[in-house]
Parts: sequence; structure tokens; C-alpha cells
Amino acid sequence: MILGGLITEKYISRSSAIAARLVGGEMMIMSAVDSTFFTLNEVATVIWQAADGQTSLKEIVHTRICSDFDVDLAQAQQDADQFVSELANHGILNVSPIPITGADSR
Amino acid sequence: MSLLYEMNQKALALGVPISVHLDVTYRCNERCIHCYLDHDDHGEMTTPEIEDLLAQLADAGVFFLTLSGGEVFMRRDFFTILSHARRHLFNVKVKTNAAMIREPEAKQLRDLGVEQIQISVYSHRAEVHDAVTKLPGSHRRTIEAIRFLKSQGLKVVIANVLMGVNVDDHLGVMALARELQVPYTLDPTITPKMDGDTSLLDLRIAGEQLGQIFRQRELVGNVEEFCAPPTAPDESVMDGYPCSAGHTACYISPYGDVFPCVQFPLPCGNIRQQKFIDIWRTSAQFNEVRSIRARDLPVCSTCAHVGTCTRCPGLAYIEGNMRGPSSADCEKSFQRTGIPSANMLRGTTARPGPLVQIQPAPIS
Amino acid sequence: MSASPSYAPLTTQESICIVIGGTRIAVRTTNLEFVRMLADRYIGFMASAENSDADLDVDIFDNSVSADPDEDLQVLRDGQEWVMRRGDFFARWNPATCRGHVRQAANPYAIDSVLRIIHSLVLARRGGFLLHAASAIRNGRAFLFMGVSGAGKTTISRFAPADANLLTDEISYVLAEQGSYLGCGTPFAGELARVGENLSAPMSTAFLLEKGPENRIEPISKALAIRALMRNILFFAHDSALVKRVFDSACKFANEVPVRRLIFAPDQRVWNIIG
Repeated sequence: MILGGLITEKYISRSSAIAARLVGGEMMIMSAVDSTFFTLNEVATVIWQAADGQTSLKEIVHTRICSDFDVDLAQAQQDADQFVSELANHGILNVSPIPITGADSR
Repeated sequence: MSLLYEMNQKALALGVPISVHLDVTYRCNERCIHCYLDHDDHGEMTTPEIEDLLAQLADAGVFFLTLSGGEVFMRRDFFTILSHARRHLFNVKVKTNAAMIREPEAKQLRDLGVEQIQISVYSHRAEVHDAVTKLPGSHRRTIEAIRFLKSQGLKVVIANVLMGVNVDDHLGVMALARELQVPYTLDPTITPKMDGDTSLLDLRIAGEQLGQIFRQRELVGNVEEFCAPPTAPDESVMDGYPCSAGHTACYISPYGDVFPCVQFPLPCGNIRQQKFIDIWRTSAQFNEVRSIRARDLPVCSTCAHVGTCTRCPGLAYIEGNMRGPSSADCEKSFQRTGIPSANMLRGTTARPGPLVQIQPAPIS
Repeated sequence: MSASPSYAPLTTQESICIVIGGTRIAVRTTNLEFVRMLADRYIGFMASAENSDADLDVDIFDNSVSADPDEDLQVLRDGQEWVMRRGDFFARWNPATCRGHVRQAANPYAIDSVLRIIHSLVLARRGGFLLHAASAIRNGRAFLFMGVSGAGKTTISRFAPADANLLTDEISYVLAEQGSYLGCGTPFAGELARVGENLSAPMSTAFLLEKGPENRIEPISKALAIRALMRNILFFAHDSALVKRVFDSACKFANEVPVRRLIFAPDQRVWNIIG
């Protein structure tokens, strides 16, 4: 999100209205709302597991993605934004400009 | 192929039990005439035992959890169990007669994010349904509960077990399901009692009636396709497994016994003595079940229906041989297609062929 | 999931899963050469690293640092964890989380030792143990040949006939399962330097080896049997709780499995009376 030239932070947390399980290094997720089914590959799973509501997406990408995968920061950031948007549209991920606290952070 | 199918294939390759059916009690408020269970409590798992089991199942990679019984709501701690299961992020389906569900229960089920509730309805007529459940008023309460659940936005499915006593009402149940806007499934399978008593099998509908059911478009869709005789099986069919039991799915009783399936009562271990993952991975019984492919079935591998039969290895086991035929499925395949199974042709169970009408010769 | 980002991993962390007696230990490291060496050494005992029972992260340090594998092995409890120390490695292992970390020189002996210690701890929890013994499977049953160095383990292994599967000539794996015992193959080789077969079978008899002029099986008292077992069970730490548990296991084993003295002359005819 860009407001008046400033890139604002984005905080993500996993929704609790889901069923989820890690199988073979990849996440299986089903929305408890509309039963849409997702599978997350290795990179997406790293983002998912780091989505504790307290760590900004920028930090997640910097410390967990760029450190371990062959991708530059700008590309990784762009991909992560798109990925997070898609999950948020399905209600799987909560997105907020400030850290998220409470039940939905688990 | 769908994502879900791919995940199933992955689970199969990794040997991960992604589906578990857990019966939390065998106690029940109903006494259905076709039920295969002993309803006395012989020491069902306690709340902490179940909570520990759920944690073990989550660690083992279980995703789909079906909670059933007996009647799940007979357990005072059922909502505790359910919220624990949801905290572990299982996809939870509940099977219940719903007779104990009112608005507050429906709301709680909705709040917990239960995926689906499956409810048995035996007839659109209260007297027939109640005669099956032996609980007066159960039909009214069950239908009312379905309305509560639907009003809370929950997914409900009606399951109709087809027996001699209610076979005439299946279209009525279908109409009722349509009115309630609930999907409907029909199953003529009667499972023998867990202790081996086969008297329940007398409740099954007659073969000919089964044949008629299979020819109803409203139930099976394209009748010609559904009832078509089987085509010759290829090698990949012979490599196939009969079902997911023991491969990506298993069953756990209220006493902690682990079976490949609720309909396959082969004891593979008990979670009160061993960790679930140890039973799943190292049980000799599980490993034996896993080794069985179509080619390993002495009679069924020679049958025309080998690629299309609904053969349940559990029913075969109950009949005496987990590598043997399941005569209930032989009957289904025969009634569906008119082609007798290899088991039926074997001699003692051979059936006479269809009668051929002899036409009088035309008068010249 | 259309928007799932996909990139190649940077530091290729390789994992290799070594399974012994049904327990899968995933060894993770970024040192590819080490992984290749492990794959060679533990051939036959590999499994998929998905859903492992335990995870070991291994960091290889520079070989030029003094790395003495003959220095005494020290295994101590540190709170919840076990700490293992020797000239050529340092390791921590948490039995509750089943996770561990190893810093070692690039030789296979260190990881061998760590694996043996971890397996021994895992077995102890379940009533099993590692034993200084050769073992083999014949006619679907497992036989143990106990004895300290020089007792004849390698000798008897060398004479094993074609219809016997050698599980190991040095370190036997005894798994307790629901009151019965299994002998499992291990990749831990002794002088025979031959990796055992990855098989397991129910335990038939445990023999205490003694070299002699003829081939003969003799009964021994239960007390002697337990003493022989305790002498040959691999102990890594003088932890009293652990020792007690292992002692109980040895007693249960002696109650279930026949323990006999096997006097044998150093030729293959001894196998005529085994199995």
C-alpha cells in the first residue's frame, strides 16, 4: 500500500476459519467458510507459517525468503503482495496495516 | 486432476493418514434396528485421552476428521472435543441423528466451523423412521434440527440407509431432502454386528429391488452408463488398491482400537498402548492390508467386475477372508449389470441365469 | 494456487533420512559432499525424509582443526537434553522434541556415533536396546550372538550360510514391540565392514558366545543371562534413570527370549545347530 509516497507496512495473520495441515512440506488449507481448497508450495508455506500477525510482510520476505531462496528483494516483495492478496480475498489470511493481536494470530 | 485428488495421491505416496474416522462413543439415544454396535459403555476414552489423541493425529498429518458414534451428543464433553479438534485445524465432519440438536447447539456448531453434518433419515414418514430408530418423536426432532442447522448456514447431508422396511419410502426421503435443500445419499449396505453376528443381514433389501433402485435416473443419473457391463480390465487395474483403508485412512473406536475402517474390524493396535503413528507405520496388520492389490485376490482377480466393483475389503474380512469376495458387493455388481461375479459362478453360490422366453415357431 | 511464489533454494539444504528399526532420523546439512558420503555409507537404510521421527541438523567444520575420534566419548544429561562430546564432534539431542544438532568434522564416524546414541536412547524408552552382538535371520527368526571383542562375533558372522541374512556383525538392534522382541538390521559395521541387511524378524534365541573345541548349546541361569545382557548392552551415559530402565528391559527380555551359551569351534558347522 502506498500512501502519499510512503510504503506502509502490512501485517498478516492466519485466519482461524480454516482447516489446515502440513503434508510433505506443503500446506493443505480449506476455508471453513466456503470450502475452497488451497495447497501452498514451499515458499508460500514459509510465508504462511511466519504469518503471526506481529512480523511485517516486508520483514518476512527479507529474513525468511531472500535469505533462503534465489530471488531479489523487489521481485520477492511483489510476489508476496500478490500471494497475500489472493489468500486475503478468500478469507484465509488477515491483512492489517498494524500488528494483529488476538485469537486469529494462532 | 483436482487439487484434492493430487493431495490424496501425495498422501498415498508418503503413507500419510490424511483421513481418520473417530467414534467418540458407542452409546446412543436411539436403537436403530440395523445398527452393528454394542451400545454399552465398556470404558470409552476420557476427555484428556481424546485430546491427546487429537494432538497425535494432527502430528501424523491427519486433515479430514469425521466424528461419529453411537450418538456424539451423548458425550457431555462433545463440544470440548470439537473445539479442541478445531484448534488443531482439522477439517471436521460430524455424523449425528441430530435429535439432540436445538438452536444453541446449531449455533455452536456453526461458530466452531464444522465442515459438514451428516444426518440419517430413514423415511419421510415419522412412523417408519421412528420404527427404525426405536425412539418415538425422533423423526420430528431430527427434521427440526436439520432446519436449525440450515438456518445457521451449516452444510447438512441426509443419509438414507435402504432396508426392506423403508425401501418404499426412498423417493419420499429424496423429496424431503429437496424441500429442505439438503443433498441426499442412499446406501443399501448393512454391516454385520462387530461381534460377527450376521442376523442384521436379513434387513437387507431383496436383490431385485436393488436392481430397480439402480435403474432410477433420479438416483444414478445416466442409467445406461451406470448399468453397463464392465469392459475388460487392464494391468493398471490389477495393480490397484481396493480403497483408502489402511493407505490414507483409518478408524479409531471409543476404546482406542485402531482398524483400517469402521467396516473392517481388524485390530491393528490400541492407542492406549502405543502411539498412533507407531501403530500406523509398524502394525503388522496394517502392513498386510497395504500389501493387497487386485492381483492378490484369488477369486476377485478373475472376475469381470474386478475394475468396477465396489468391493469392500472390510466386508470381505467379516465374511472370513480379507482377500476374498464380499458377497454384498457381488450382489450389487450383478444387480447393476446383470453379469454374475466370479464368486457367484464358483459353484456353491452359483445362481441360475435369467430365464429365456421360448418363442413359438411362426406358423408358415 | 496461482499466486504461490516459486524460487530455487539458495543454500541447498539437503536432507537424507536414515531408518533403522523403523525409526526415521532425517539428517539435514548444507554440505553436499557429506550427504553423498552418507548416502553411500547407509545404502539400504534410506527412506523419504518426509514425516521423519527425528531431525538432526549437522554442521561440518574444517577438518584441519584437531579432530580426534579416539578421544573418549562423553555423554551427559543437560536438563531436558543430552549432550555428546568427543574430539571430533559435539552434539545436543532433545528426546522430547526429537530434534538435535551436531557439529562435527567431515568424517562418518562422528555421525555414526551420534546415530547409535540417539537410537539407543529411543530404544530405551520403548524397552529395547543396542547390543554388542552379531545377529542374523534364519528361517524367519532372528538370532543374537553376544560377546565382547574377541568372543567370536565376526567369526560366526563370516561363517553364516547363504540362507541366513546377516543383520550386523557388531552392533545389534533389539526392538521391543508389545511384549515381543524383534532383531533389526543396522548399517553399523564391525571388522567385517559389511553393512547389514535392512530386515527385521522376531527374536528366537540370544546366544552368549564362547570359543571351544566343539559346537554345543548349553542352558544358562536367568541371572547369568541378565548379567551377560547387561555386559553387552551399549551404554553411553551413567545416568541412573537410564541404567535402571535398561536393566528392566534386560530382565523382561530374558523372561521372553531364550538365552543360551553357544560353544563353538571356528568353522561353519556351528550353523548346523542354529535355526
